[in-house]
Amino acid sequence: MNGREPLLLNGEKIMQPHLKRAFTLLALVIIAFIFVRSLVVPQSFGQYGWYRGDSVNEIKNFQVEYAGSAACGEENCHKTIYSVWAKDRHKTVNCETCHGPSEEHVGNVRIMPPPANDSRDYCGLCHFKRAARPANFPQIDPETHGENLKCTYCHNPHKPWFI
Amino acid sequence: MMENLIWGYVYPNEAEIQWSILIVLYPYITGLVAGAFIASSLYHVFGKKEIKPVARFALLTALSFLLVATMPLLTHLGRPERGIEIMFTPHVTSAMSGFGYIYSFYLIVVVLEIWLSFREDIVKNALNSRGWKELLYSALALFSYDISEKALHDDEKLAKRLAIIGIPSAAFLHGYVGFIFGGIKANPWWSTPLMPLIFLMSAIVSGIALLILLYIIAMKLRKHAIDHKCLHSLAHYLWIFLILDVTLEMLEIISMKYESLEEIEIINRLLSDKIATTFYGVQLTMGIFIPFVLLLLVGMIKNRETLKMIMISISSVFVLIGVFAMRWNVVIGGQEISKSLSGTLTYVPVFFSKEGVLPAIVILTIPFIILIVVTYILPPWKDMEEEPERNPDK
Repeated sequence: MNGREPLLLNGEKIMQPHLKRAFTLLALVIIAFIFVRSLVVPQSFGQYGWYRGDSVNEIKNFQVEYAGSAACGEENCHKTIYSVWAKDRHKTVNCETCHGPSEEHVGNVRIMPPPANDSRDYCGLCHFKRAARPANFPQIDPETHGENLKCTYCHNPHKPWFI
Repeated sequence: MMENLIWGYVYPNEAEIQWSILIVLYPYITGLVAGAFIASSLYHVFGKKEIKPVARFALLTALSFLLVATMPLLTHLGRPERGIEIMFTPHVTSAMSGFGYIYSFYLIVVVLEIWLSFREDIVKNALNSRGWKELLYSALALFSYDISEKALHDDEKLAKRLAIIGIPSAAFLHGYVGFIFGGIKANPWWSTPLMPLIFLMSAIVSGIALLILLYIIAMKLRKHAIDHKCLHSLAHYLWIFLILDVTLEMLEIISMKYESLEEIEIINRLLSDKIATTFYGVQLTMGIFIPFVLLLLVGMIKNRETLKMIMISISSVFVLIGVFAMRWNVVIGGQEISKSLSGTLTYVPVFFSKEGVLPAIVILTIPFIILIVVTYILPPWKDMEEEPERNPDK
């Protein structure tokens, strides 16, 4: 190839062979990108918007896990504790927030929901002191408050100020 | 402890500063790429012969830094294997999604530019070596060994055209980073159409400063005389771009102060309290004023090359630190003011963590390692070590 005159085609000079190779390589890389993209991007992408269209159906078919607080108070099952909870400060915290998902339990009372989460850290998600929390929101410093006992040792979670 | 870091009224979700030192590093590295490339195009496009010794070296520097430009972002976000998805399904209204394409385009331009300007050396190496070296250089030459005058002439022509495309792409690559910040309307410290230009100018400044330092270090390591004409020319361009940079930066602050819109109170607090040291001290005094005076003196002093070289080196180091402080002041400063405009927060860097100072240092070291490897494969020293001074009295 060394020293060979560039070929002539209709008076136009043909591209140098090494440049031709470079641009072919570049074209191959771009084609490979497009090919991989066509394999990787799901078929239903963009069907409704900038997401995988099939995901709508998949999410719709998820099994329902939460029954909602009302389901606990209905049918005379947990009526007493429900009425205590519903009148007190924790009424905005749903039953299943601590007691876990209970849809199965509502359908069949023999299937028990997981035991309630009453760890210190779990209460602390809301009640450990954070600068970003409103000053009048009940917050404690876990280092100094409660001697590392479980919160429920003193506080009744259904009626928080009842110590 | 947290209380000391917060002043005034801030929103709860702002208490933790999300964009860490890695996000400071991202525009810094991208800026070094753009700057180094533009320095090399001073020779390739504008034919400034005195820059020739560092023109190819500048391209290699640009490539080394370009290869890690996305690394701070991917480390910050986590799950780097998902990074490519921004290119597979880019959203048309997202400025960020354009980055993948701009970056790739720019990478192609830089690689082609390097290939064309080193092709003669690659082919000669391929023909003169044996074994794995022959294979490596042959592959790099794409198994085409034509280095006739005509072929090299065509290469040069194409390289020049590529460099002409390269300048706007370099400007675009970095201007875009500024645009991402400038387009955030909720943050008065960022939201300005000047931001892309400010980023671009500081990018060029930092890129040239890096090139000067690397050139001096490389020549010292190789025990070779420095081409003072080239060094002074680089210093001259550094000085010019420094003026443009400070003009734009000051223009923004002055117009902000003169307009005195409702956000001015919090901006004043930011400038006088939160980032006072890094802004007035490091960014303006150390990063701009001192190098400006030193480079001015370099232009005025006759002879005394060693003194001038030391002054240029100090200026370059200060510029590099100053530009890093500028990125810091933009990225961290912007997050230290609350969206409420009536409170401030404080960023406390940590050392050992995914978002910490240690990964930032590691990421900033990688391009230098890449540069050492690349210069081993494609040595640019030949043009640096050509007898620089034709008239010995100069």
